[in-house]
Amino acid sequence: MPECTNPLWPCAMTGAAACLAGFDGMAVVIHGSSGCYYYPTTLLHAPLHGTFILEHEIIFGSEDRLNEVIGGLSGQGKRIAVITTCVPAILGEDIRSMLEKHDVILVDSPGFSGDVEVGYKNALSILAPRIDPDLCGVNIDGICLFDPFYAGNVQEITRLLTMARIPVGTVFSLDRLDNVQHASPYTIGTNEDFLSGVGKYCGGTLGFRTIEATFKKLNEVFADADVDRVFSELEQQEERMVKACDKYLLRFDPPSVVIFAGFSYAEHAAGTLERYLDADILCIGSRNAPGESKYPVEQVAGLDGVPSLIAQHNPDLVMGSSFEGSVCETRAFTGITPPLRGTVRLAPTPFAGINGTLSLVEQVLNTCMDKKPGRS
Amino acid sequence: MILNPLPIHTSRFGGCTLTGALSVTTHIRNTASIVHGPKGCTHHNFSLLHATGLDNETVTLPALVSTALSESDIVFGGEGALLRTLEAVAENDVEAIFVLSSCIVDTIGDDVAAICNREYGVPVVIVPTAGFLGGTFQNGVANALCAIAGTAEPCPVSDSVNIIGEKNLEYEVEENYAEVIRLLDMLGIPVNIRYVHDITFDEIGFLGAARLNVLREPALMPVGNYLNERFGTPFIPSFPLGLSGTISFVEAVAGTFGIDSSRVVEKERLFQRDTLDGFSDLEGMAASFDPAMIDPEGVNSSSEVAEAVRMHMKKPGTSGVSLGPGTPVGTTGVRRMLHRWRRQLHA
Repeated sequence: MPECTNPLWPCAMTGAAACLAGFDGMAVVIHGSSGCYYYPTTLLHAPLHGTFILEHEIIFGSEDRLNEVIGGLSGQGKRIAVITTCVPAILGEDIRSMLEKHDVILVDSPGFSGDVEVGYKNALSILAPRIDPDLCGVNIDGICLFDPFYAGNVQEITRLLTMARIPVGTVFSLDRLDNVQHASPYTIGTNEDFLSGVGKYCGGTLGFRTIEATFKKLNEVFADADVDRVFSELEQQEERMVKACDKYLLRFDPPSVVIFAGFSYAEHAAGTLERYLDADILCIGSRNAPGESKYPVEQVAGLDGVPSLIAQHNPDLVMGSSFEGSVCETRAFTGITPPLRGTVRLAPTPFAGINGTLSLVEQVLNTCMDKKPGRS
Repeated sequence: MILNPLPIHTSRFGGCTLTGALSVTTHIRNTASIVHGPKGCTHHNFSLLHATGLDNETVTLPALVSTALSESDIVFGGEGALLRTLEAVAENDVEAIFVLSSCIVDTIGDDVAAICNREYGVPVVIVPTAGFLGGTFQNGVANALCAIAGTAEPCPVSDSVNIIGEKNLEYEVEENYAEVIRLLDMLGIPVNIRYVHDITFDEIGFLGAARLNVLREPALMPVGNYLNERFGTPFIPSFPLGLSGTISFVEAVAGTFGIDSSRVVEKERLFQRDTLDGFSDLEGMAASFDPAMIDPEGVNSSSEVAEAVRMHMKKPGTSGVSLGPGTPVGTTGVRRMLHRWRRQLHA
């Protein structure tokens, strides 16, 4: 792997913690040093525990320390999950047998094993979700505590499903732990970078056309569904949005855009801006391995790739994280991917669903009007 | 939230040497810091430094380069990755390269020194870190300050002070520095360099030019001793803390320079009386200190302030309003702490 200047994406250990800490009834233990513990704790804002190992435990073994921490958490009615960090992962200790007297889930997810998505998927697979075929409902997946839009996405998709009279199944990964073993047979997504692979996938919720297609499928599956209410709201809100975009285009040229985000969110942003603002999508700098796209796309893992891509394309608008916000100079900027630092975010803003698209376009229009791209 | 059910060693919570060392090395302009380890370690630290910079209204984008060790590097050794990274970074227009190792590298036994001791056409400084295997955040800070000081040679001394080991991740780092400057200005003593806070690599060459080093906190005394041995510079172990601490700081600095401090001390005492008079409404109010406040210097200076405004203090964590941790730097720091106390007491 070539060297990387200012890596933009967290490690697999953080991804595993982001997945597991989303489940109520789970006590997540980071088996590693305090340094490895502090980052996911501050990023995820979730209650995590740590073994905070020291050098002598590396030399003489970490069994006692691990048992001490696990013992302290036992009896609290929570399932304990232990995530191994880099050093414990290579020590050759048989952690599974060390912990056999405890009912513990062991997730081997050291930082060097990959990026955040790798750890998330690994952790979820170890939880071994099970479908309850008798359940009537739809699981929501793609929810990851690492995503600044996760809470808004859950609220928004729950709202849409409720509007359509479709029960909500298990939310992966923000739910009661026991619901992991009682998932519904069908699933819809909010972010395909964090797919659960549980149940029959009925589609995503990023963008109006995708929502429409997904709820049409759900209508075929659920005889009692009332998706017309969703379609009605979608139509009304799309009309409002189109009016706002057309009004913008009366005065300004469409923005040219470079987008940095996970592939799924970046594709949604690109498609939405092209469709409603006739935006010129110059390039996508994907945080993770990109899939097929109609837009120019390349993976950008380090910060040094960001200014060079911006300089190469000279966009009016940059979308990304606060890293991109720091290097886009005076260009219009919209934050769509973590981290979003240096700004106060209190309300659970969605990225998925009807309100997610409205929020995205609202932010773009406001920032572009402030910067007035394309205005002569 | 219970962070640790059975805390035995306070060093368990001491953070990572990498973070401490990077809080120093990234404040030297036009240099690069290589973190020898998996990408995640570098991302964590880059993200933290970036967030801290934004909190301080500066866009901090330090050049942190990860050797990006993969699973196969962990198995077969990562020295090749370090060599490749050093060669690539040396091609850039940097004045120095700092090399920091992670805990995984220490565990697999890479010979970092052997790789760094080769010729790259630019100074390469090894900062002993090794993640948590090298100690705590504080060790990382001290190790970086000492390692970088090793690049400077003794030089002619002038009547000035160095500020040593500012907490660059501290939210109020600039305000604390400004308070020290206010006191030094009253004595007519300039600052030589802020070691290390937003300086150039060239400036480090003048580290030995100060007559006195002012350490940010007593935990940096090993650094103070090292600089004393290397350059013969005496040190004061801490920024001024609290009321009497501020007066004794002024007297100690003046004493080193052979200055009569009596007029400055009198002026500062007057300022302190005026400050305390502004908080006379706190007199008799009951409060206690947060039990989490374990720093003895912080406890002592806060207790002294509470006594000065005649508050009724109870045993920590017992009853009344629980006042949060505070280490008030100088009289201005005392004033800000009193404002926070007033807000808590009136909440």
